[in-house]
Amino acid sequence: MKSLDVDWTRCDGHGLCAELLPDRITRDDWGFPVIAPIAVADEDNTSVRRAVALCPALALRITTR
Amino acid sequence: MTAVLPAPTARAWAIGAPRLLAGLDRHATLDHTAHLAVHGPLPHLDRARLTALLDDIALTGRGGAGFPFAAKLRATTREHGTVVVNGSESEPASFKDRTLLRRAPHLVLDGALAVAAAIGARRVTVAVHDPAAAAAVTQAIRQRRDAARAGVERVDGGFVAGEARALVRRLGGGPAMPPGRRVHLTERGVLASNAETFAQVAVATRLGARRFRDTGTHAEPGTTLLTIGGAVSRPGVVEIPLGTPLGIVLAAAGAADPQAIVAGGYHGSWHAPLPQLRLARDGITLGAGVLLVLDGSTCALGELARVTAWLAAQSTRQCGPCQFGLPALARDVAALAAGAAAALPAAQRHAHLVDGRGTCHHPDGAAQFVTSGLQLLQSEIDRHLAHGGCGRPVRGLLEVPS
Repeated sequence: MKSLDVDWTRCDGHGLCAELLPDRITRDDWGFPVIAPIAVADEDNTSVRRAVALCPALALRITTR
Repeated sequence: MTAVLPAPTARAWAIGAPRLLAGLDRHATLDHTAHLAVHGPLPHLDRARLTALLDDIALTGRGGAGFPFAAKLRATTREHGTVVVNGSESEPASFKDRTLLRRAPHLVLDGALAVAAAIGARRVTVAVHDPAAAAAVTQAIRQRRDAARAGVERVDGGFVAGEARALVRRLGGGPAMPPGRRVHLTERGVLASNAETFAQVAVATRLGARRFRDTGTHAEPGTTLLTIGGAVSRPGVVEIPLGTPLGIVLAAAGAADPQAIVAGGYHGSWHAPLPQLRLARDGITLGAGVLLVLDGSTCALGELARVTAWLAAQSTRQCGPCQFGLPALARDVAALAAGAAAALPAAQRHAHLVDGRGTCHHPDGAAQFVTSGLQLLQSEIDRHLAHGGCGRPVRGLLEVPS
């Protein structure tokens, strides 16, 4: 199962991911992403991969577990 | 099981027959000769036999995470790896690992050397913060001929620096902070565990599975070390059979008026001192093996606030939710102790918000500590909300390093 994951040591809370994936990602009191526990399905690949690629801190990733 | 052995030399005692602490009622420190006299020679077990033994006794890591130790052995397949004994003991109230390292260093070395021999590890690194423990282990290594591959490394004493991945990163020359990516140390040939875990291995190789299981519960055989502190007349390090009822331990430690206990340390949880609760995973989870007792002389909510502030200060500030969330949580608990009603839902929300959102388990542990405290201290909270306090001082029974 693939899911979205954050490397918290890199994330600076820019918030771009929440703009790009409003259905999956909201922001907490300090601007850091809160990721909804939804699996990344194949049909989501394009939008999710785009958000991962655009993360300014290279903190957002897709992980398989 | 209720027989309490007196320990004239130090604050180390046992309920039932001591295993890890054997001989410490007669010796301040067990040198190699005394160690062999008390424990006997160390049997050699190959990888398959040691793994089977550890499976049989269901040994789990004693640093807090409770990971099955046999699984670590299985996962360390790389030859010429390193065995790391985590003796940094960064849990403030804990003293059990230092007690072992200072007073029974050969038992810890036995376990680490037995594991190293079984998996073909080239090095054994004993990572410690405490100077006295470092000196005792260094001396112990010199006293024996089979420890050429063992060495001592002094490491930082920070709470998060003691996390295994942070520790190994530091040993490799990096910062003492947990890495951002999930790292499986065993894939790198590093088998790291807490000092007590290795002492348990040393005991188990001598006793064998059947005798090891003579005490403890079926699911969790054997003994465990606890550091007991707070409102007790006999604080110190105690060895107990796993599954011992809380009431027996509290009575033996001299807890006259227990109102609440904190089990597992500051990543642990608060409980009502129900005597029938068992000190085992299906009762009170022991985490890093700490049991702290609060009595009616102190303001429990103030104690909670004090430790929460300390936990917030321990963030390495790598991860945003922990860096900002824990201080917010600490402010909430302090405000609640001062009687602010809105602080209760705020604390619950912030605890939920930091949980699971960091590269290490510091925010999760802090959230659990606060959440369980708030749950247990319901009537205390009511009193604080009604009167702006409870009239009792915060005595600092839950110690934090200054």
